[in-house]
Amino acid sequence: MNLTETRLARLRGRAMPRNHDARTISALAANPGCARRALMDAAGADKQKLAAHAGYPAPFGQSQFAIGRGNAFETQVKANGAAQLLTLLRGHLGLDIAEAHYTDLGAVGSNESSELRHIRTRQRLTAADGHAGTMFDHPMLRLRVGGRYAYLEPDLIACKLHGKFYVVEIKSFAVIDGQADPAKVAAAAIQSAVYVLALRDLLGDDEKVHHEAILVCPENFANAPVATGIDVRKQLTVLVRQLSRIARIEDLLATCPGDLTFDLDPDENQVPRRPPEELLASIRKVAANYVPECLNTCELCYLCRDESQGTTGALGRQVREDLGGIEYTAQALALAAGQEPPPDRAEVAAVLVRAAKLRSELRPAPRAGLS
Amino acid sequence: MTLLTSLARVLAAETGRAQPIRAVRHVHLSQRPLVFIPLQLAGEACAPLAAMVGDDPGKPQMLTVYEPRDRTQRFDFAAGLADIVLGYIDGYTTADPAPDEPYPDAPQLLVPNGGGITFTRLLGRSTRFRRTEGEYAVKRTVPLLGRWLSFYAERTEAPASALLLPMTAVLADHWATGQSEAEDANLAALLGWIDPPDGMSGPQAARAAENPVCCPPAGPATDPSFDNEVLSARIGAIRAARAAGDGAALHRAQVAMKAALATQLEPTWKLMWRAVGLLRALPEGDHVSGRWKVDRWAFTSHVRWLRDGGAPQPRRDGAVAAARKLAVLEREAQRLEVQRAYDDPLVMAEYRLTGEAFAGTVTEADPARLDTSGRRAKLRPRIGVETGDEVLAQPGAKLTSPARPNQDALVIEVTRAGGRTRVLLELEKGMGRSLTPAPGSVPAVGERVTYTTLRDDFQQPPVFPAVEDTPWTHGGPPPAYVPADEDAVEEWS
Amino acid sequence: MRIVGLVAEPIEVLERRIGQLRAAVREAVLAGDKARARAVRAELRQAERSWEDALAEAEAGAGGTAGAGGTAGTGPPPGAAGEGAAGEGAAETASLLPLREQVYEALSLLQVPAAPRLIATVHEAFFAATFPTTRVTSLRRDEERSFRTAPFARPYYICAALAADYLSPSRGLLAVSTWPMEKRVIGSLSPRVDFLEAAIRVAEAIERIPAPVPAARRLLWRFAASIPGAAADANHIQPDAVKQAAEAELRVHKDADNRTRREAAARARRQLTDVEQLFGSRTLRPAGSVAGAGSAAGADGEEARRR
Repeated sequence: MNLTETRLARLRGRAMPRNHDARTISALAANPGCARRALMDAAGADKQKLAAHAGYPAPFGQSQFAIGRGNAFETQVKANGAAQLLTLLRGHLGLDIAEAHYTDLGAVGSNESSELRHIRTRQRLTAADGHAGTMFDHPMLRLRVGGRYAYLEPDLIACKLHGKFYVVEIKSFAVIDGQADPAKVAAAAIQSAVYVLALRDLLGDDEKVHHEAILVCPENFANAPVATGIDVRKQLTVLVRQLSRIARIEDLLATCPGDLTFDLDPDENQVPRRPPEELLASIRKVAANYVPECLNTCELCYLCRDESQGTTGALGRQVREDLGGIEYTAQALALAAGQEPPPDRAEVAAVLVRAAKLRSELRPAPRAGLS
Repeated sequence: MTLLTSLARVLAAETGRAQPIRAVRHVHLSQRPLVFIPLQLAGEACAPLAAMVGDDPGKPQMLTVYEPRDRTQRFDFAAGLADIVLGYIDGYTTADPAPDEPYPDAPQLLVPNGGGITFTRLLGRSTRFRRTEGEYAVKRTVPLLGRWLSFYAERTEAPASALLLPMTAVLADHWATGQSEAEDANLAALLGWIDPPDGMSGPQAARAAENPVCCPPAGPATDPSFDNEVLSARIGAIRAARAAGDGAALHRAQVAMKAALATQLEPTWKLMWRAVGLLRALPEGDHVSGRWKVDRWAFTSHVRWLRDGGAPQPRRDGAVAAARKLAVLEREAQRLEVQRAYDDPLVMAEYRLTGEAFAGTVTEADPARLDTSGRRAKLRPRIGVETGDEVLAQPGAKLTSPARPNQDALVIEVTRAGGRTRVLLELEKGMGRSLTPAPGSVPAVGERVTYTTLRDDFQQPPVFPAVEDTPWTHGGPPPAYVPADEDAVEEWS
Repeated sequence: MRIVGLVAEPIEVLERRIGQLRAAVREAVLAGDKARARAVRAELRQAERSWEDALAEAEAGAGGTAGAGGTAGTGPPPGAAGEGAAGEGAAETASLLPLREQVYEALSLLQVPAAPRLIATVHEAFFAATFPTTRVTSLRRDEERSFRTAPFARPYYICAALAADYLSPSRGLLAVSTWPMEKRVIGSLSPRVDFLEAAIRVAEAIERIPAPVPAARRLLWRFAASIPGAAADANHIQPDAVKQAAEAELRVHKDADNRTRREAAARARRQLTDVEQLFGSRTLRPAGSVAGAGSAAGADGEEARRR
């Protein structure tokens, strides 16, 4: 174990390491300036548990009905050598009848390391025999995040056609009359882009992985699957740029105290004993970059939101931009009230003063209950 | 969002109380709207679980699906909802208006949020093609409900329509909170900022509202911890009782499940009516009734379409229909923006801030001025307006005042002195037919006036090919829509 | 809300308590406090049972009519439309045969390794009884235990299919120990080949029975939908056409699949112990590695599987 690994292990403490997945990587890429998330993810810390113990339980969980539905749909599409999927791919990509191989790259032994599986995935995907495979389930991929490899074990199938691979993502949200929930499609697209990127990394050749991912969803109100191609070139561009903006983990570690840890001091029943305020103090030693979008993606969002009270950013990117980048609400109000602005804020201050005047000119006297 | 709204958000954050950003209410609000709060089973496209619905705050009606994955029970739910919704709609069509008149009023549906609209659309989509005879027959009212829900959901695409409103969006349009837009999507939190309970600040109330245990989400999604800890056990008990053939146990299990779901609906029901009360307290904007008349016409046309045996809405619009719809919507959005500014000084203030409008005092007026340069003398009064606002309008620009929307004001001269600007305007139209202006048609010295470049004039709609002339690049003429067998027996599992 | 004459107070009290306990469980779950959630959950289940009992008692006490009268508008009347007491659940018939024999019946019909779900569906379609797939999953473990305790004591075992490369148990597939090893090893084409074989067996089975139940026809449609040229839609489906379409595709894959399976089967017989031959190898021995010492009992084992 090198120094970085040692320090990350100390940060994580005795908790079981959590692995990155496409969801965490796309969340991190959406906010590359957040050192707190970057470090915690790199260390494999259990953010959900940390947030709960610090007194800020995360606002999301998963309904067992949603999980059950997702699993059932995936099982159905992959059942019998992925018979349903094969039918869809034959229609969507024009697969030749002979191309009907199904290879499960899932773990063989229980103690197989991610690295070993990654190597095996590469071997199987690059096997010289051109006919050795069509659908590859559970490939072990990896991606460089903050200068370190994060391993990804996606529930996805890589499909090979004429030497080119396609990422196939199975999602259980419905496509109704050719349309699906835009937010879910967008999330699926960025996650597919993560896999395309990781698959390209694995094969060492961008040309070998197609930029169109194949999304398999239930159609209309029934269970029959339908395949839709989504072009993820735009997402790839964004992802590559954002990943490049995540600071190197080593550099982030250098800014933290050497003895920093998020260990929960669990007893024999895994009940945390560490005083919450002490944990909170440790978490606060690493800077966060809260934006309201974190509310959908990060387990620590309530904690960070509390810290960022009084900032304009907590009200949304748009508010911050409208206010010319002024960081604190109190400062914005002071300038609006006519306080002498610093030279670089003179312009926005002038507009603020006019806006405040307009507001006070027009606001009717406050009425009870509506002020 | 604009600077004024952003400033209001900052103000709200600092004072701990939402700030009004509108002086009037910009949506129509029915005397007795139908509040509809649907819940659905997580993970499914549109599996109704329960709903609370009604037009009387004291008498909510509740529908429950005890086995959300059972097709028959879903259609039973749809039939139950149809009884309530269709009965409500029928109340508005008791007396037919003259053929060239719309119904005097139209039924208005209120849902908590955007998710409620999506649910309405999907429930409409999944029921409107159903057949009432043969295999997979459903009750007569089910496809009719589907067509009404589809109609309501489709109207929400029109920016000026108030037939079906998502409460969070309406509230957020009238108040700025000290939280982000994303957080405003939570009805309870939003109301916490606008109207916190006694002894609580806005942020305190909003934080309390984020605890799903005390404050259930306003649907259609239920809280995962409710699903995992309460609902799954209730559904399990029903299945067990059914498998055992124990009627009494089944009944008990159903009572328990309904009671559990009621705890997830009742708080939202109360919030919805509280929100209705808050909105009702705002005076209605001048243009609101005009826009509601368009809604009444849409409603009337749909009633007549249904009575004439018209087909259900197709699954998808054809290319021309889609393009026409888009153009109409764009134009409608622009008009709405202008009307809102005319109705509401707080909206107009946004334009004053950007220089597209100014408000000031009339300092001089020549109401009898005649333009004699042409062959016939024309009445062209001039007024001078002094304002502290920034004025971007150049000489030659044509302005309008919300107080006299039919009158054009031509900018003759703009002079700035100190922090003040004087604008000389020449008026045309809206003063009567004689060479002396009708009383009050020309602003008098001392009057407060607002002038803006925003105009509410009707623009010619772009010309689209007739449906039968759809270019081949857009798929050619679509086949006339005939509901197919496939539509009617489509699986819903 | 609910007024039940005789035992009003306990029921009301219980309901309040249930409400509080539910909130407490969810609070604990949200706070990540698993131990507390477990404890409160147990209390909650207890309270819910007491509520059920109290209500049942109240109904009985009121001469069986309290069900309708005692729910004061909140509950649906018993027997309301679509909510009849006799559910479809009662229609599910359970077989008298032990589970392993039912699985054996289904697998013998299919003649190829299959996943629990397919096994259960086949059994329902042709033997008129279903069983929960979760029980099938644990069956393999029981069979392995039984074999380890007394090898070859039974005429057959429900065993694993083996992945051709590592000879490890193939995820989720069950097979019958008396089948030749070639049938039980799974190469990359084998899932497709086995799917087509299964389609043929199901089509043949349907042809044999005079009036196939809807479940059987549904099953055939599920196969047909994923075989090119097998059927146009669910309403126009002929067993013979499904069979022919499956055979046509099978001809494309068969040789390549046979080669892989023969090679892997030979390797399995050479390298694996008896238990491993039936339930898979847990140690990695990828194809092409040096053959391990053949198991001493190999010959016997082979014989046992053919019995």
